[in-house]
Amino acid sequence: MSKIVNFKIDGKDVKAQKGETILQVARANDIYIPTMCYISKTTPCASCRMCVVEAEGVDGFVLSCNTPPTEGIEITTNNVELEQERVNIMKLYDVNHPLECGVCDKSGECDLQNKTLEFNVGQQNFSAKDQARKIENWGMINYDPALCIMCEKCTHVCNEVIGDDAIDVKFGGYGSTIIPKNAETLDCTFCGECIAVCPVGALISSDFKYTANAWELSRVPSTCAHCSAGCSLEYETKHIGDRSSQAESIYRVKNNFEFTSLCGAGRFGFDFANVAKSDASAFNSAVDALQNAKAIRFSSIITNEEAHILQLLKEKLGVKLFNEDARLYGEFMSAYASVSGKLHHSGSLDAIKQADAIIILGSRVATDNPGVRYAMTTASRHNGAKIVYAHPIEDALMQNIVTQFMKYEAGAEEGVMALLANTLLANADLSEAEKKYFDDLDLGYLEAESNVGADELATITRTFARTQKRVFVIGSDVFAHANAANIAKLAAMIEKYTDFSLVVIPENVNTAGVSLVCDLDADDSSEAIGYNAAGTFVIGSLEGADLAVPALNQQEGTVVSIDNRVLPLNVALSFEGYTLNDIANALGVVKENTVDYTKELNTASGFKSVAFDDLENFLDKYGNDVRGYLLDEVSCEATATLDEVSDLPEFNGVVIYHSNPVLQFNNYTNSVEQLEKDTTLRGSAQFSAAARVSDGEEIEITFGKQTVKRVFKLDEELKGTVALNPTFDISVDASEYKFLKSKIVRAI
Amino acid sequence: MSKVYFSTWKGELINNIGKPEEEWEESAYNLPAQYDDHRDSKAFIGWDGVALFAEDVDVIRLAMEYAAQYQEYSEACGRCAPGRWGGRILYDQLDKIARGEGAVADLDHLKEIGKSMQVTSKCEIGKTVPNPIIDLMVHFEDTFMDCIENQKESKHYKESIGYIAKITSPCSDACPADVDIPGYIEGVRDLRFDDSLEATRQTMPLAHVCGRVCPHPCEDACRRTNLDEPISIMALKRLGADWETDHGFDFFHPMEPKPKNGKKVAVIGAGPAGLTAAYYLAADGVEVDVYEALPVLGGEVTVGVPEYRMPWDKYLQDIECVRDMGVNFIVNHNVSADEMREFETSYDATMIASGTRISKAVRCANERPEIQGYWGAIDFLDWVNLYEKFDIKTPESVQNQQMLPTDHVDLTGKTVACVGGGFTSMDVVRCAIRAGAKRVVMIYRRDEKTIIRNTTYEEYHEAVEEGVEFIFHSAVNEIIDEDNVLKALVIDKFELVPDPDGGRAQLVKIEGASETIDFDYLIPAVSQSADLGFLPEEWELEMTSWATIKTNGKDYMTSRKGIFASGDCEYGPMTIVNAVGQARRGASVMSRYIHTGEITLTDEEIMEDHLKKLKVYDKKEKVTGWLPGIPREHSSVLDTAFRKTNNAEVNLGFTQEQAMSEADRCMRCYYIAMVQA
Repeated sequence: MSKIVNFKIDGKDVKAQKGETILQVARANDIYIPTMCYISKTTPCASCRMCVVEAEGVDGFVLSCNTPPTEGIEITTNNVELEQERVNIMKLYDVNHPLECGVCDKSGECDLQNKTLEFNVGQQNFSAKDQARKIENWGMINYDPALCIMCEKCTHVCNEVIGDDAIDVKFGGYGSTIIPKNAETLDCTFCGECIAVCPVGALISSDFKYTANAWELSRVPSTCAHCSAGCSLEYETKHIGDRSSQAESIYRVKNNFEFTSLCGAGRFGFDFANVAKSDASAFNSAVDALQNAKAIRFSSIITNEEAHILQLLKEKLGVKLFNEDARLYGEFMSAYASVSGKLHHSGSLDAIKQADAIIILGSRVATDNPGVRYAMTTASRHNGAKIVYAHPIEDALMQNIVTQFMKYEAGAEEGVMALLANTLLANADLSEAEKKYFDDLDLGYLEAESNVGADELATITRTFARTQKRVFVIGSDVFAHANAANIAKLAAMIEKYTDFSLVVIPENVNTAGVSLVCDLDADDSSEAIGYNAAGTFVIGSLEGADLAVPALNQQEGTVVSIDNRVLPLNVALSFEGYTLNDIANALGVVKENTVDYTKELNTASGFKSVAFDDLENFLDKYGNDVRGYLLDEVSCEATATLDEVSDLPEFNGVVIYHSNPVLQFNNYTNSVEQLEKDTTLRGSAQFSAAARVSDGEEIEITFGKQTVKRVFKLDEELKGTVALNPTFDISVDASEYKFLKSKIVRAI
Repeated sequence: MSKVYFSTWKGELINNIGKPEEEWEESAYNLPAQYDDHRDSKAFIGWDGVALFAEDVDVIRLAMEYAAQYQEYSEACGRCAPGRWGGRILYDQLDKIARGEGAVADLDHLKEIGKSMQVTSKCEIGKTVPNPIIDLMVHFEDTFMDCIENQKESKHYKESIGYIAKITSPCSDACPADVDIPGYIEGVRDLRFDDSLEATRQTMPLAHVCGRVCPHPCEDACRRTNLDEPISIMALKRLGADWETDHGFDFFHPMEPKPKNGKKVAVIGAGPAGLTAAYYLAADGVEVDVYEALPVLGGEVTVGVPEYRMPWDKYLQDIECVRDMGVNFIVNHNVSADEMREFETSYDATMIASGTRISKAVRCANERPEIQGYWGAIDFLDWVNLYEKFDIKTPESVQNQQMLPTDHVDLTGKTVACVGGGFTSMDVVRCAIRAGAKRVVMIYRRDEKTIIRNTTYEEYHEAVEEGVEFIFHSAVNEIIDEDNVLKALVIDKFELVPDPDGGRAQLVKIEGASETIDFDYLIPAVSQSADLGFLPEEWELEMTSWATIKTNGKDYMTSRKGIFASGDCEYGPMTIVNAVGQARRGASVMSRYIHTGEITLTDEEIMEDHLKKLKVYDKKEKVTGWLPGIPREHSSVLDTAFRKTNNAEVNLGFTQEQAMSEADRCMRCYYIAMVQA
């Protein structure tokens, strides 16, 4: 029942949807209204006042960014009076703005510069006493209040899109400034989005500071290589004059901040390119090794094309392919498909952004997938979404998003899914057998053992009653659960019988792609060649490999994101050595270029026969994502039935949970310069007492077959008896459930 | 009317310059010519002009100081380009002229920047600050030119002069609790709900309550009305409170509580007034003991306002917020006269906030409390709410007296008449519906329009939807009983006869139109009076003619030193927000009294009172710079058939989309007023 408002802008007939402002309609119709503070993805900051327009019959100017049109109104976006006021506003912005464009990072891409020129402000008749203002150093971010024009874009994105809510306007008229919120210094997740949106040089990257001018940098559009969110970004590179060791390097990463966001790993963790030189003998050894290999073990931090080559090698050489991460994801999705009758989950990050009700289970999502977190923040702020966060460990970062924390016992995911499905499917049109399945559930047992109470489930029913756009999100905790298949089937039931859409979060950048491209074998821990993974002979893009291959910012190729979108990667930095395709060619799998395989990707999995060079990689000016393509939906048989819920496992004693600190994902993020590498085992006071370890103590943790050394850090924000053990600096077995009973002893 | 030397206030141009004082023309407005008991004002300058009360005012300095206030009070502003830089330029240029360094071009720059601020600023403060400054520049051009041409200082440039300023807005001015309404709406608009809530709690700790059941006098003073419809101010208040509750945050207090200062205060009654006084006193470092006679906290909002209008779990959040400030509550404690005497020594001061808990009689024939079925509204609502909210059962004595079949108020199959017309009577009839009564009738002396005005449009219509019958222009003449059991009521009919002399129309009984209607219950809800039996007789506290405790309505001290009173026991049965406003003022006065023994008001409070007298809202003002015709949002309510059988909250509140759209309609009508005293 959307109500359309018809009105005119500069004589042109235009239409507004309910909730749209005059400025939004103008932009959608390619009518220019200048702004200094407007950003499409947040509520209007309304601070610059440049976007004032005239409305027929209305005295005074009307602000277009936060005013919805009324039926029949005629808007004028420009005339002498409006121009005069806009010129005056630019003059005001220029009062005492330091004349240091020559050394300012923003010069050349500065909104203040651009608009000062646009409005032809050549002289200044306003003046005010200048004020001495100190540059603040907030770690990776610097803030210069003298350059700040108080547009408030930074505070809006930080609160409304990211969710850190870490910066605030300190009101003070002429002395107004941006300050860390309720803190001495900036305490945030360092996504750097504030830097991205800053229209002037006030908020800048301390790493990039004074290193290059905007116009010297080349831009390479690509897709972030760190997690499955598939964020678009641009690597900005420059040939180096004075660093003779390298011909070029990435200076910084930028994003289309008007419409999309990027986390700090994407923004600051860009220097993971493989700088190893070409080594012909290593290449020959690699070819030999593969010829004699029984198996290849590989990670999902590769492109679809690399995965495709590996699959061809499997077929050619008869080797096994080990990738537990992708295999478990693939099995989860197969189980899902066996109930849903289609291969791909229905939801997307956009669906999350638009949702007013979200349930997320099995993910410490703020660290697992910041893109999902930001989408949830958007939903929380802009739609007032009710958000249920079901997990064994509360996450303080999520408090201002989550409306219901549903703590369950580690290992209880299957039981919790059954309880949630039973709740959400209460009024669904189920078959007799399905009805009986839910009728037969021993709710009392499940509630008692999972620690999810009937009242909590009733709260969901109550708080979701008014909601209309619902999304169920499942995280990577569940893939290695003993009963992952039944969890997937229950999720499919919810998607099938309710208005919930479903989003499954793949663990790595291309877990989904690999699972769709390769026919994977269960890893029996036998000897294997490693491809970006451990093995008897390692072919990889990280330092120390036996044969160096390019990293994801050094090659063309595609990955499949959480949205089931096939996204292109591009060459930001050249790589001088060999690629997997070179090896394949030597082994008789012949193609000139790796990306020649792009159009040959498996259409039975939903890939389209589109050549790499035909893939777009940008967002259009209205913010529409036209990158790559969406996988085709593939129907399959839905014949499976739900499994009986197993007895819930018990996790007593010392339990650790594999979870990285924010901005860390894997060995690549571990290898970059700017990102913090906190490898401590973090636990609550309760954990500290239970495991008999104290803050700062060096310990050895043994889980599965692995023993790692850690320093224990007492974390005031954590509760409960499970500690967080990072994995970005070690490799862990992806087939192991992320909650592990472990032994902790003091290191000697 | 005030005596002025010169005034441009609201466009009146009064110029008595050069005239002998006895010939001065007076201003039509209640300008603050007398600042307080011992100070005259010399000038008043504000959003809509300037008034000088004496000849000797340095007008350049006055203009400069007003611009300085805009800088000073920028916690409310500095949030748009024209305001942020323009305000500073205004000040710098005026200071330059005042110190004797000005140039003629500065006057042009002032006018130009003033105009830009007037048409493009974000809020009214930026739009209006230039108004009186330009007035002064125009009307005292010679004075400005004298300083510029002779490069001399303005006449009192270096003297120490007291300038006292206050930020206000039409809505805040109309709010008895002076809530920073544009501030909390801005918090919603910016999706900074913590800021929104803190803005509310600066002067109003009961954000959940007053975001739900406030009669919102602010909305009658909303400037948006001049353009289209008033903002839904009240409903936007609960957004911040719901945010805090939904996310399980610790309480967002707008201030850090001061360290304990060794002073102690007793508060009698834990209703809205008592809670408010306790909150601000505790924030000020005072140890506060609140004595509550009932077993539950919250006063009438707990035991009077029904669950479906004010869910207990939400009100509890407000109460816990007060407790979190460090307040000590003592429940089930009826304070005696002896204790009151003792409190004078054991506490540094006492705040009486005991409300009005005695239902008044309807004044009809055969009105006897011993008649079964005759049931005072307060007692009736007590038992309904204690059961619905706390599972406290109705005692057997009440069950017997009111013929209840069970341990709670169950009126299944019964007929109920209520006499009233205010909020309490609405609560009675809607609770009676929910208690299963088969017929519920409101007997009201006046008409539909009046009952809506006395309550709210929503309240009346929701009651009608739920099946309450309203008999207007009627009154109970007599109760008919059989053996002290109520059987029927004789109801007189009236008509409104216009006064031929143009006075107020009179209600005149229509002879012969009276009818007798069978009823099981009569619940009088006409008004309440204060139960003040606990006051020591020898104190001889001064009372009002309505038998409430008398204060001067400014500092809330009673006729006895150290004994304060606020809320309904002072004012008579009134609104929650009125109780909050009184209690906060009283707490402020007490927080100084307990240290100094003096009764004083702060400049902020004095200015608040002046502005209330002057009235900030002007319903005739033409609003410019906003597009009219953007409709007010209405929150949805529970379906009638569903809600009349239970106590679920009827009003579902705004969706986020509605809230944002409504918040965007707010015009941020902040103003600065300043007095030179």
